[in-house]
Amino acid sequence: MNHDKPLGQALREQGVSRRGFLKFCATTASLMALPPSMVPAIAKALESARRPSVIWLSFQECTGCTESLTRSHAPTLEGLIFDNISLDYHHTLQAASGDAAEAAREAAMEENKGKYLLVVDGSIPLGNPGYSTIAGISNLEMLKEVAEHAAAIIAVGTCAAYGGLPHAKPNPTGAVSVEEIIKDKPIVNVPGCPPIPVVITGVLAHFLTFGKLPELDHLRRPLAFYGNNIHDRCYRRPFYDKGLFANTFDDEGARKGWCLFKLGCKGPVTYNACATIKWNDGTSFPIEAGHGCLGCSEPNFWDMGGFYNALSESTMDLSRTAAVGIAVGAAAGAASGLLNRRKKSKAEAAHETVTVKDLQREEKS
Amino acid sequence: MSKATLDRGVQILKEHIDAPTAAYFSSCVNCGMCADACLFYTETGDPAYTPINKLEPMRRLWEQEYTLVGRIKKLIGLSKPVTDEELGEWSDLVYHACSMCGRCSMVCPVGNDISYMIRNIREGISAAGYAPEGLIGATTRAVEIGSPMGITMHALNTQARNIKESSGLEIPFDREGVDYLVLLSSMEVINFPEYLEAIARIFKQAGKSWTISSEAFEATNSGIQIGVSDIARELVSRVVEAAEKLKVKTVVSPECGHAYTAIRWDGPNLMGRRFSFKVKHIIEVLDELREEGLLKVEGIEESCMTFHDPCQLVRKGGVIEQPRNLLKMIATNFVEMEDSGKMNWCCGAGGGVSAIEEAEGIRLKAFNRKKSQLEHLQVDTLVTACSNCRIQLEEGLEVNEMDIPVVGLTEMLADHLVEE
Repeated sequence: MNHDKPLGQALREQGVSRRGFLKFCATTASLMALPPSMVPAIAKALESARRPSVIWLSFQECTGCTESLTRSHAPTLEGLIFDNISLDYHHTLQAASGDAAEAAREAAMEENKGKYLLVVDGSIPLGNPGYSTIAGISNLEMLKEVAEHAAAIIAVGTCAAYGGLPHAKPNPTGAVSVEEIIKDKPIVNVPGCPPIPVVITGVLAHFLTFGKLPELDHLRRPLAFYGNNIHDRCYRRPFYDKGLFANTFDDEGARKGWCLFKLGCKGPVTYNACATIKWNDGTSFPIEAGHGCLGCSEPNFWDMGGFYNALSESTMDLSRTAAVGIAVGAAAGAASGLLNRRKKSKAEAAHETVTVKDLQREEKS
Repeated sequence: MSKATLDRGVQILKEHIDAPTAAYFSSCVNCGMCADACLFYTETGDPAYTPINKLEPMRRLWEQEYTLVGRIKKLIGLSKPVTDEELGEWSDLVYHACSMCGRCSMVCPVGNDISYMIRNIREGISAAGYAPEGLIGATTRAVEIGSPMGITMHALNTQARNIKESSGLEIPFDREGVDYLVLLSSMEVINFPEYLEAIARIFKQAGKSWTISSEAFEATNSGIQIGVSDIARELVSRVVEAAEKLKVKTVVSPECGHAYTAIRWDGPNLMGRRFSFKVKHIIEVLDELREEGLLKVEGIEESCMTFHDPCQLVRKGGVIEQPRNLLKMIATNFVEMEDSGKMNWCCGAGGGVSAIEEAEGIRLKAFNRKKSQLEHLQVDTLVTACSNCRIQLEEGLEVNEMDIPVVGLTEMLADHLVEE
């Protein structure tokens, strides 16, 4: 790939009109809650941007995040922008394989030392390093090596951001997220299982335009996309407010599109942009399709109780705690009962028969 | 033996905080419903007479000795130990102002048997030496002479002779293998001699054999009223031994409520075994005779009458229908008192109250409840089946200048027997 061609030129060569390009810039600006005056700045920045080198590492993952990006409504600007960054290493997409592939990564790292972006999908096993290796190199070793000279790291998908499904109990591989290993680099988490494609490109566009990463929340998610919860932006919210709920997936409420809260929708505790940006080019999102939100952009979503348990139900298994509580209570009760019984028996044993002569008090002299 | 002291009282209380008592104290929700069920509270309006409050020293002792919270409270001084003065003060509440009628136990929403606990706290207070003089005297006479009023066999023999002279009826003493062993309360011997003649006539007509034991004719149990189980056991064992010696089938409690409870319910628990005979109240026996057709009466009482249910009969024994069945045989103009049956208001003198001289004031105040019930009914005759109630009713009516005769049901039936 030619690293020197500016992005604008590359896009036009691929048949994207200037109008379409500006539209993308405006969308990105509004999505990221930037003022409209920023649109020309984005356009200018993107147009003249030298395509940055991107190294994409896939660890313990299902490739769903890559699928989400590449199979989104094609050809999209997101896709094209992706095509036109210099994706120097991505073992699913690149043509090279084996030593040649690793050589490309090493070359890109050397050539763009301190400037390249590192994108990671998948979690890193800390158990046996042999659980996941690429070209004989363990994930942990490769992450540390590539991260060392990266400008920033984007953790794509819940696995890279928070450990995700490999991290789910009982976590057999000892999977952890990127931020648990790399402590000295700017990291952006773009969680979701998978994340929305435009969120990934939005973060890239922000980086290209301003040369820094966007504002993040306490879980290092870009506030622009993860600032609101699904519930507050959900088109079914009015039904929730009126107390109209679907109780099963085929009752009247479900057919009328009422709130899915009682069917386990995690929208109220899930921060993501699904309800506004939606999926498949703005076609729909899970709740619109009739299924509650699973909460996939939240840490440990897999272990937060059943997907179909309403949030008002306990997400923890209390039976063990209850059993221990009952056992301890019963033991304490039995012990104090025994003590009391002993005290009473002692009083009984000390009983002196009371006769009528014992009923008078001694006169105080 | 040692004299009564606070230590002995506390020791005895600890002994009597049994599983039911502990369960009751921990269940109490302080709702105060027992207050409105107690005539000593309703007639005085003094919250000190709230039944559960009468147990306060025992409740605190239970908390301090048998609960974790109480032990901690005692340790850091939040819960003061039970004192001598306190037990003395509470003596008035548990002896003067409680007839152990059990009405509070009936209304308690968590099922606490408060009168049972009063029975237990009396054990501690008497052992601490704070039982009222009147009850100590009655108990001493019961143990030493054989009757709380000091009646001896001599007096009873005289009465038997009088009955023989006036009616020709034989009063049988110490006969073995008879149907009924008849017990008497001292009050019946002194105040209502007509009772003995009445049952002699009824049993003669019914063809039942009966007897009185010269060793144990007294039915009342002062040991229970004062709250000394050792004495109560001694007194009840006299009756049990006499009944077993004479091999009777049934022991008949006289028209006395607390005597009935003492023998029938407390008796086996005090002795720790079942009896070889049955214990029945005279009214139960009479109703059985009626059912068997052995009670033949004639003549109808036309005056308007009502029945005062003795608390121990209705609430402890469930004897509710029997007196009404009997009354219907001889009365047409019978009216029910408000709250009649198991929730009937107590006369105010049971459970030993009548034996306490200093309690006279509150006893007559408590009668006001019965007074207003009777004023409302406007009856000509008041019938009952407990001599202790009867004395209190007669006294109360006289003090309030109400002219209503009080009659014992057994005597009334005897008056209507078909002459042969």
